[in-house]
Amino acid sequence: MCQELRVLNAVRNKNVGILLTYQQLQHLQVPVLIDRLLLQKLYWLAIHICQYLKMPDIEGASRVLAHWACDKVQQSGIEEEQLARAIAEKLGDTPGVSYSEIANKAIECGKVDLAIRLLGCELKAAEQVPLLLKMGRNQLALTKAIESGDTDLVYTVLLNLQERMPRGEFLMSIRTVPVACSLYLQFCREHNRPMLLELYYQEDNFQEEGNTRIADSYEDERFETRVSKLVATQDAFNKAKNECATKLTEEQIRLMRFQRKMEEETNKPFLDLSLHETMYKLIVENNQKGVEQLRKDFKVPDRRFWWMKILALSETGDWNELDRFSKSKKSPIGYEPFVEVCVKNRNFEEAQKYMGRVTPENLVRCYVKLGKLEQAAESALQSKNAEDLNFVLSKCPPSNRALFEKIQTMRNQLGAK
Amino acid sequence: MAGISEKVNLPDVQELRHSTRMQLINKLRSVTGLKDLVLDSELMKPLDRVAGASLLKENGVNKIFKLEPSKSLTGIDKRIYLIRATPFLVKMVADQINAEHTEGIRRNYTILLVPRRLHVCELILEREGVYGYVNIDEFSLDFIVLDKDVLSLESPSFFRSFFMEGDQTGCHQVARSLVSVQELFHAIPNVYCLGRCAQMVHNLTTLMMSNSGCELSSPNYEIGHLFLVDRDCDFVTPLCSQVTYEGLLDDTFGIASGFVEFGQDVTGKDQSSKLLLTSHDIIFEEIRNRHFSNVSCYLSSKAKDLQIGYDKRHGLSSVNEMKDFVANDLKALKQQHRSLSLHVGACEKISKGKSEGDFSDILRTEHCLLEGIDMKACHNHIEEMIIRQQSMAQCLRLLCLLSVTQGGLTTDIYKSFKRLFVQSFGFEQMLTLYNLKRVGLLVEAEKTQAARQLGKVAAVVNIPLPCPFRSLCKRLNLIPKSPEDINLKNPNDMSYVFSGAYSPMLCKIIEQVLTSYDGASLEDLRKLMTVPMSLDIKAKSAREKANHNSKVAMVYFLGGCTFSEITALRFLAKQRGYKILIATTGIINSRTFLNGVSEPVA
Repeated sequence: MCQELRVLNAVRNKNVGILLTYQQLQHLQVPVLIDRLLLQKLYWLAIHICQYLKMPDIEGASRVLAHWACDKVQQSGIEEEQLARAIAEKLGDTPGVSYSEIANKAIECGKVDLAIRLLGCELKAAEQVPLLLKMGRNQLALTKAIESGDTDLVYTVLLNLQERMPRGEFLMSIRTVPVACSLYLQFCREHNRPMLLELYYQEDNFQEEGNTRIADSYEDERFETRVSKLVATQDAFNKAKNECATKLTEEQIRLMRFQRKMEEETNKPFLDLSLHETMYKLIVENNQKGVEQLRKDFKVPDRRFWWMKILALSETGDWNELDRFSKSKKSPIGYEPFVEVCVKNRNFEEAQKYMGRVTPENLVRCYVKLGKLEQAAESALQSKNAEDLNFVLSKCPPSNRALFEKIQTMRNQLGAK
Repeated sequence: MAGISEKVNLPDVQELRHSTRMQLINKLRSVTGLKDLVLDSELMKPLDRVAGASLLKENGVNKIFKLEPSKSLTGIDKRIYLIRATPFLVKMVADQINAEHTEGIRRNYTILLVPRRLHVCELILEREGVYGYVNIDEFSLDFIVLDKDVLSLESPSFFRSFFMEGDQTGCHQVARSLVSVQELFHAIPNVYCLGRCAQMVHNLTTLMMSNSGCELSSPNYEIGHLFLVDRDCDFVTPLCSQVTYEGLLDDTFGIASGFVEFGQDVTGKDQSSKLLLTSHDIIFEEIRNRHFSNVSCYLSSKAKDLQIGYDKRHGLSSVNEMKDFVANDLKALKQQHRSLSLHVGACEKISKGKSEGDFSDILRTEHCLLEGIDMKACHNHIEEMIIRQQSMAQCLRLLCLLSVTQGGLTTDIYKSFKRLFVQSFGFEQMLTLYNLKRVGLLVEAEKTQAARQLGKVAAVVNIPLPCPFRSLCKRLNLIPKSPEDINLKNPNDMSYVFSGAYSPMLCKIIEQVLTSYDGASLEDLRKLMTVPMSLDIKAKSAREKANHNSKVAMVYFLGGCTFSEITALRFLAKQRGYKILIATTGIINSRTFLNGVSEPVA
């Protein structure tokens, strides 16, 4: 109370001229009194009162300083640089003082340079950037946004610029800044596909262009447009000097044309199957001609072809054909696969037929697949292979005690040797 | 102070959950009266961990809907949309609002963007013409408390957006989560960054903390060390098949925000069952970190214990005892019984999957790849898998593992695999393969003539090819010399999480940093790492006055972490007497990891 009385006494001074009683002060509240002092531009007094009454910064000192700074800014006749320095000195790094407000005021007075300098003192990028944009300092705004590490700010700047500047200029200005560039590319990927392609073209980034075109081609329904998009893709990959991708694209175009033809001939869906799946389907449908054509055209290696064929034949259950096929040539994949596919399709009789041609090292595994554990164990014993015996043991169900023990004895036999 | 063994404890993470709940309640209450809540489907499970339906009802939520691309939704006159701030979802919401407008319905709409308002989203709302009709606000859903030692942002897209697309938006959410942790538990004195993203996040966090006036150092810290690790420091771990129980559950059934859904084949009944997996489930807590071979014996002995518990009821004589039994014991027994039967069912299904022939072949190839031997056999196996069109996901996984453990494939091999893959699984896979190349999972490495010669020799003699991964393996001792000696029942080595074949690299690095006291011994490690590593050890001089919380560490995986790594860290903590709090942008397994990078084509 004593303090407040002293304050009242001070403001009674004839220079200030505010006559208040203690009760009136209580009613008004101190901040209002400070406001009145500010309006009279009695800053020094106001600050001292704040400090004397130990008012928290936000209500007291900072507000006063901010007000003073705004006022100073409006004064004409003082050089901008001096002004900036004076304000910066007085304000220092006082928390709570928003430089951006002061800068705003400066802009309103038309003192743009001053505003920029003041903004330089502003710590929070989120305040700096919008004002910089308002002032038309685009490059600076972009730099500050990127420095802050806040991608949202960068987007704000970019999208703002996109609307205001003509396209060529806009693209030129972001080209030099890689972060901005990549963010903008991403934005285009989601919202503006044609622009994306153009950007890639400008950057000579043919690889990405190719990829985008592939993705695009899948969004189309009509066959011809898809193919033409893929042709463009092929071009792009070629320019990117990516042989592998070029070749694969070219193959895909060929495949699609073939599939289209097949669809027309057989009236069944083929499009969008992979090469493998296409051949598989053709084998299953016994379309020899189609299969041969694809095999030659795409130079499918023997290994792959044999696997495809036996899988397809076993699926359709064409065991005779499978048998005939296995005898047509020496199998590049061995005969275990034959056993395997038969077992998978639960045809143990057929599987048995191929056992004779299985290589010795794979005999054990094949017997196990057939479920003939005893024979497997004996074969392993014969070839003196302890590892294989262990393998058989692991596949033997503990319920079958007799067999289990028998195999264990065999293993001990081997171990003893 | 030093020398007194005070009990080291993890900070109480429930406080984090509490502050998130408070925030949610505030947001809900900002719309007065009854309102409907429309949720983004990916947020439903995480939100469930924060606030249940009852809390929502208490705060005026009438009905809860899932956000779907349907045209309009019936409901009451006030509605809150709670969605992630992605353009796709915002457009969906805008479409829905527009549809309702054309039908003449007038509603009060509020859109809560998670984790914060983004300019791009506001732009979309403007473009669709709904900006004027909606209130936009943000809800910073940071860490979801998955367990007492696991925090997650549940943001699966982080890996793709940062590491593949170079988009740093996610870093802001990560930094904010770190700030909220440090506001509650005080600033963490020692920070170690492994990787580019880690460095960025660290800088951003420091900036945010100084802006918000948070103290940058404090003597009352509850967490002594913070490790920020990028996922791309170690690609091998997420590509390996998991063999710990929790890891297997994730691989087989998929665990989402701690919830696992068991189908009918596991429950044995007509319905599927949802189970929450946390340390509160006593049975689960016992088996989660065990190697799978060690699980069924526990379950059977537990079954016997339960039986004994039930049998107690025969011994009850007085009514009081019976009342006691029903009130206290019976409920717990019934809960354990339910949990037990579900876990037994799950184990059976997992065992069945493992005994299928292909699985053991795949595992064998995996182990060979890790050791770097038998390369030709591995190549053949992978080729065969692709030719036979077996599980594309597995083929891709093994290919990536091959590339990462070898430091990239030689150009010829890369081209031939690419061709084979595309011809077998379809042309659209070109995009996925390109993405994998971008991220560094499946790359071709231009090898010099000398290196190629060396490679040929290595293949003939059957020793691993030298490359960055191998040197790290040697330095950190990641691959035990004799895997059969690793005790899987009472493990004494971290590699048990992969049956003795491999120890998760990041966990080993953390072990090294925690147990060595000066930077010099880690210099050679720093040189071997393929990513920048920085150790900002602040409290070096104050080490003498270190408070007992310097035994508490927080590990933050940027890009995701696997259950195997969580288990390995828990093992490390127990072995070395530390307490480790694990944080991540999301929990991944090989399937979700590769899906995240794949390109879905219609």
